[in-house]
Amino acid sequence: MTRYAMVMDQRRCIGCQSCTVACRTWNDLPLDIIFNPIVTEGVQGIFPDVHASYTPLICMHCDNPPCTICCPTNASQQDEDGIVWVDSSKCMGCKVCVNACPYGARDVSALDPFLKSFVRKCDFCKDRVREGEQPYCVATCHQNARIFGDLDDPNSDVSKLVNGLGVTTIFPELGTEPQVYYIPDLGGAK
Amino acid sequence: MSHAMNNDKLNKHFWVWPIACYLFLGGLGGGILFFAGLFDFIFAPMIGSSIGSVFALGIFIGVAALGIGSFLLVFELGQPFVFLRVFLSKTAIIKWGAVLLSVALIFGFVYFLFYLPPEWNLFYYSWTWIRDICCAVMMVTGICVVLYTGILLSSFKARAFWNTPVLPVLFTASALSTASALLAVTAGLWPAPEFLILGGFAAVPMHDLSEIFVEYLHLIDTVLVAFELVVLLVYVVMMYAAGNNTARKMALQWLRGSFAPLFWGGLVICGLLLPLFFYLSGGVLATIIAPILVLAAGLLLRFMVVFSDVRRPIPGEERFYSRLPKGDETFLFANDSKSH
Repeated sequence: MTRYAMVMDQRRCIGCQSCTVACRTWNDLPLDIIFNPIVTEGVQGIFPDVHASYTPLICMHCDNPPCTICCPTNASQQDEDGIVWVDSSKCMGCKVCVNACPYGARDVSALDPFLKSFVRKCDFCKDRVREGEQPYCVATCHQNARIFGDLDDPNSDVSKLVNGLGVTTIFPELGTEPQVYYIPDLGGAK
Repeated sequence: MSHAMNNDKLNKHFWVWPIACYLFLGGLGGGILFFAGLFDFIFAPMIGSSIGSVFALGIFIGVAALGIGSFLLVFELGQPFVFLRVFLSKTAIIKWGAVLLSVALIFGFVYFLFYLPPEWNLFYYSWTWIRDICCAVMMVTGICVVLYTGILLSSFKARAFWNTPVLPVLFTASALSTASALLAVTAGLWPAPEFLILGGFAAVPMHDLSEIFVEYLHLIDTVLVAFELVVLLVYVVMMYAAGNNTARKMALQWLRGSFAPLFWGGLVICGLLLPLFFYLSGGVLATIIAPILVLAAGLLLRFMVVFSDVRRPIPGEERFYSRLPKGDETFLFANDSKSH
């Protein structure tokens, strides 16, 4: 079995937003849709010991996605390999999944034409991934802060990081079992 | 500039006025069908099937409310022509809502057809078994639609102010109270006949009979409004006292922020306390003013709840979205030939 997952190494991320731009390019997104923003927490501390931490976001491709069970048309779906995606031809644009996602990973574009507005979200670049390539944001990240791979393959980088380091997830208490893991930065500690 | 964008995904309202109106109309229509069916179920064995004509106009308005509500729901969709796929899914709450709504709509409408003016003598008036089936089905599906409107919103774990079991209770109380208010206002009006033949012999003026039911409905509505007031206060206070930070922030907005005038003035005083007082005092205040206030408060409640769709921010998210371009910046379209 394959279970795609991503690890965000916050120690390495410098908040350059290359992945955000790359994603827009590859997926040809309208101006008001962002799949993978990088949000900044900080600046914290007192000069000269100041610090900011960068959190690259993306769809968490949860193991227990709240956005697929609520979809009334089965457009929002999860594949065997864990990728959650929206079939735009089946989506009626009711936005129930947008409300269901705790991570704000889904949106409809106001720039879509009338009667042709559907929910968009990250699909881990499944067109690339299933041909053995990396998602475009991962391929673009020059800091190697985004690490992608098969969690079920014990030799993959992702598997080694998730099982070997103290990784965290966002809002684990919601029970969504997100499959994007974070290696927290040191928070300015020396 | 033709490009209207809202990049603030954190504070963006994905469901707006059509959904608020739909939740109100669905609750109202479902509640009307439930009450009409319930009264029929209880009183038809005693005074005959003509009981339905007391509420005929109300039932028509209930069916129309469901129809308009469904129209708003479909109108709000991004790709309305995909709508029929709703009936294919298995688990989604919206699917069950759509099915129940359609069934209630159809059976409620057929039930209403039996109470067109009797002098029209339509051929199906004697097929009472159809009427009985419709009565049972619309009663059950009606209350299910009422419950569904609250369950839909409270099922979102991501939305702190919605995700509470109190919300379906509040919506049910509000829907049933708006329904009984509307039934009380419209009882005995067109297309009801002037005289009703009860039990096959005694002819009773419709006015006398409807007055009895209006009294029942006022009593029911008094209890429901009092209950709703308690539930509403419990809802907001518990969100403030026991909710997470996001819910607490929203509850504060209700209690003393930008929603406070609407909450205290519109909902608590004009929408619940005044009708309660009017119902207890009786007279024209109880027959006309109180039901109108109850209906207006029902709509206001749906709007306020729908616009309280707060999501817990991921640390740093608030700042990120507040800094994104709003869509009217010239640099965004400087090289875009289509926009000029």
